[in-house]
Amino acid sequence: MSAAIEVHGLRKRFGGLTALDGIDLEAQGGEVLGIIGVNGAGKTTLMNCICGIYRADAGRVVIGGRDTTGFTPHEIAHQGVGRTFQVPRVFRKMSLIDNLLVPVLDRDEDGAVLIERAESMLEQMQLIELRHNFAEELSGGQQKLLEMARMLMPDPKVVMLDEPFAGVHPTLCKFMIERIETMAAGGKTVLLISHDLTSIYRLSRRVAALNEGRVIAMGGVDEIRGNPAVVEAYLGN
Amino acid sequence: MPPEPAPGASRSVERASADRIYFTLAAVIGGMVGIYFLVVPILDLNLAFHFYLMLWITMASAFNVAAGFSGYMPFGFVAFYGVGAFTTAILVKSLGFPVLLALPFSGAAGVILGLLFAPTLRLSGIYFAIVSLALAGICRLVISNMPERITGGSFGLQLGSRAEPVHSFYVMMATMLLALGVILWLSRSRLGKALRAVRDDAEAADMMGVNVTRVRLYGWLIAAFFPALCGGIEAWYTNVVDTETAFNTLTTAKTVIYAVAGGLGTVTGPIVGAVVMVWLDELIWRQFPRLNLLILGVATVLLVLFLPRGIVGTLLRRRPAWRRYVP
Amino acid sequence: MEILVLNGIVNGLIVGGIYALIGMSLTLLYGVLRIVNFAHGEFVIGGSFLAYALFSNLGLAPLLSLPVAAVSFFALGWGAYYLLLPRLQKSDDPEIMSFLMMYGVSIALAAVMLVLFEADSRSIDYSFEPVAMKLGPIYISTARIVAFGIAIALAAALTWFLFGTLVGKALRATIMNREAIQIVGVDVVKLSAFAFALASGIAGVTGVLVALVFPAFNPFSGAEYSIIGFIVVVLGGLGNPVGALLAGILYGLAEQLATVFLPQAMAPIVGFGILVAVILIRPAGLMGWRAQR
Repeated sequence: MSAAIEVHGLRKRFGGLTALDGIDLEAQGGEVLGIIGVNGAGKTTLMNCICGIYRADAGRVVIGGRDTTGFTPHEIAHQGVGRTFQVPRVFRKMSLIDNLLVPVLDRDEDGAVLIERAESMLEQMQLIELRHNFAEELSGGQQKLLEMARMLMPDPKVVMLDEPFAGVHPTLCKFMIERIETMAAGGKTVLLISHDLTSIYRLSRRVAALNEGRVIAMGGVDEIRGNPAVVEAYLGN
Repeated sequence: MPPEPAPGASRSVERASADRIYFTLAAVIGGMVGIYFLVVPILDLNLAFHFYLMLWITMASAFNVAAGFSGYMPFGFVAFYGVGAFTTAILVKSLGFPVLLALPFSGAAGVILGLLFAPTLRLSGIYFAIVSLALAGICRLVISNMPERITGGSFGLQLGSRAEPVHSFYVMMATMLLALGVILWLSRSRLGKALRAVRDDAEAADMMGVNVTRVRLYGWLIAAFFPALCGGIEAWYTNVVDTETAFNTLTTAKTVIYAVAGGLGTVTGPIVGAVVMVWLDELIWRQFPRLNLLILGVATVLLVLFLPRGIVGTLLRRRPAWRRYVP
Repeated sequence: MEILVLNGIVNGLIVGGIYALIGMSLTLLYGVLRIVNFAHGEFVIGGSFLAYALFSNLGLAPLLSLPVAAVSFFALGWGAYYLLLPRLQKSDDPEIMSFLMMYGVSIALAAVMLVLFEADSRSIDYSFEPVAMKLGPIYISTARIVAFGIAIALAAALTWFLFGTLVGKALRATIMNREAIQIVGVDVVKLSAFAFALASGIAGVTGVLVALVFPAFNPFSGAEYSIIGFIVVVLGGLGNPVGALLAGILYGLAEQLATVFLPQAMAPIVGFGILVAVILIRPAGLMGWRAQR
């Protein structure tokens, strides 16, 4: 069975700075792949390359068996890729419902059906009461939930979460963890970047540790925990 | 006791009633506007005043598509207007077209110019505004330097032997209603949502599957079509066209100010803004003709300082719940 | 032909000096305050009219109008800042809102000058002794040479100020990072007011020089100078005073040489064309900012 997402030899430089120095990884359907690493290790750059904001200098990205290297962001979105951001990027001057409708504007389904789906998502995220408010009126944690709901609307097969727990209080964290478990249980592939090692180790089947643009270790949770290279990357230097 | 309706069902009932209010309001406003202007020539009210009022409502509404819905401030907006004016004038004068046949060509000319300017759509706020200004300047200079027999040189072009004020008045009315209809549709349509998403965060919209370049282009071309049409109709109304008046920067200035005064991002905003400002302009002009320009400038400054969201925009900010009901 | 080209080069330098000043003050304003001063051209022409008024009514020589313009425009700029700007910084989109506001200011200023001076073109009928000087095969009016000298001196002084004094460095630091400068304890509001006042003062002085260099001006000439200002600022990189200095001179040369080869009426197209081309192809100018959405 081919992997849901594969990355082969991805390289990206910004002027003199090498952000990605040959990344290889893959993840299967229904698995949560944790991605850890210190700041500047290349985690977010990796996500940006996968979803098309950055054009990689070398390497390939294959999603669902299809080579998406060089695709524009919206083409990649149509391959069934969704993502959230470290700092929420909601559509500030649009209502919550409208925010959720944006990823599904080009679907053939009837508007009323889509709106109902959006509303039920908002209900799940406990944001239903605020559905007509502008997104900029939400708190930071609420915006993260909104982003998650927006990402799930088109039912993506590959989901990329960039620090979903950052700056979020414990109750909300727990809620998000449950959502992520549901996603994986439903067959989605989840790439999860986080500094919250506890949550990563709890959710992930495997973990990829990045450092200086390279994957220095990839394996099961216990393997990574004890891996000397990983420990050194986090504590050394 | 009867079982409580499922929350989804009660929400959709609520949604339906909000939509009903929205469209009823839109119909009422549209109807009032339509009927009012319909009777102006019949009751022999000031034709010129009302003609230009309709022109400014249309211009401000089209600008709203660019600025309020898409997030662009084309400070060279008058370029479309001027090109439309000259297209109609040249087709009527040099090629003998009947005006009603020439007008669609004016609209098309606006769209073509919009396509030509499309590469600038990737620029951010200030750069886009400045480039737009420069492009309008280039348009003006190119046309004024064209051979005199085509564009009339410094004297301009005369369309025909007699103007037809009442006919052009009604065509202007039809155009205005068309513009308002298009914007009403846009505010509820998927394209409208896509435009606003791109306006708020283009990169995020891209990653959500929105074809940013295509969506921007559609919004831009809609915004370019109407001022071009307005230019053509005004040329018909006044029967004369010359580069100074057709490419007057004051046209852009008034369009921007009237649209901002009403509030960008709503359908009724530009209507309210145009009505209030044109009325104010007329009042001031009658009393203090020399201070007209000064009042316009000061009004703009005061608007930006105290009412940056415009009349309708500020109202909706105070009462956010009304956003669903007010077109 | 050679004489025309030589003339073009000399005039280009002279005119370029003025454009450099306009660009430097405009770019300072953008860099420190993030506002695009659409009314900058009107500030400049205001200085020209001030010199005109002082000359016609008091017989004051233009050179003596320079300090008057400097002080009065500096004061006006300081006052205008506190009157207009603080509210703006709090709005959703300060850049566009400031653009709109200065649009209004430019209309209002043009209207004021229109009311005070009528729409006719004005000029200052002042000559130096001798009226013109010979430089090789060409004659240049002394007024222009003097104006050029003053422009360059002013540009040099401004550059020294920005790089050599503490306040100047604070201004440059603010251009680079507005948040950081507040953290280190600088009173950004006062510094911003100073920047606005300084830019206004320079604009006013430039206006006096304009009256010496250009044949005539009217209340609506402001728009032309605003556009030129934008061109120079974009060419030099937004927020980069040295860039603006170089770009101003380059642009002056390009403009004057263009008039040698093109009909007068077409010359502005060169300017607009350069602006559009630079923004589309290399928006950073000589060194600069992110221009794409």
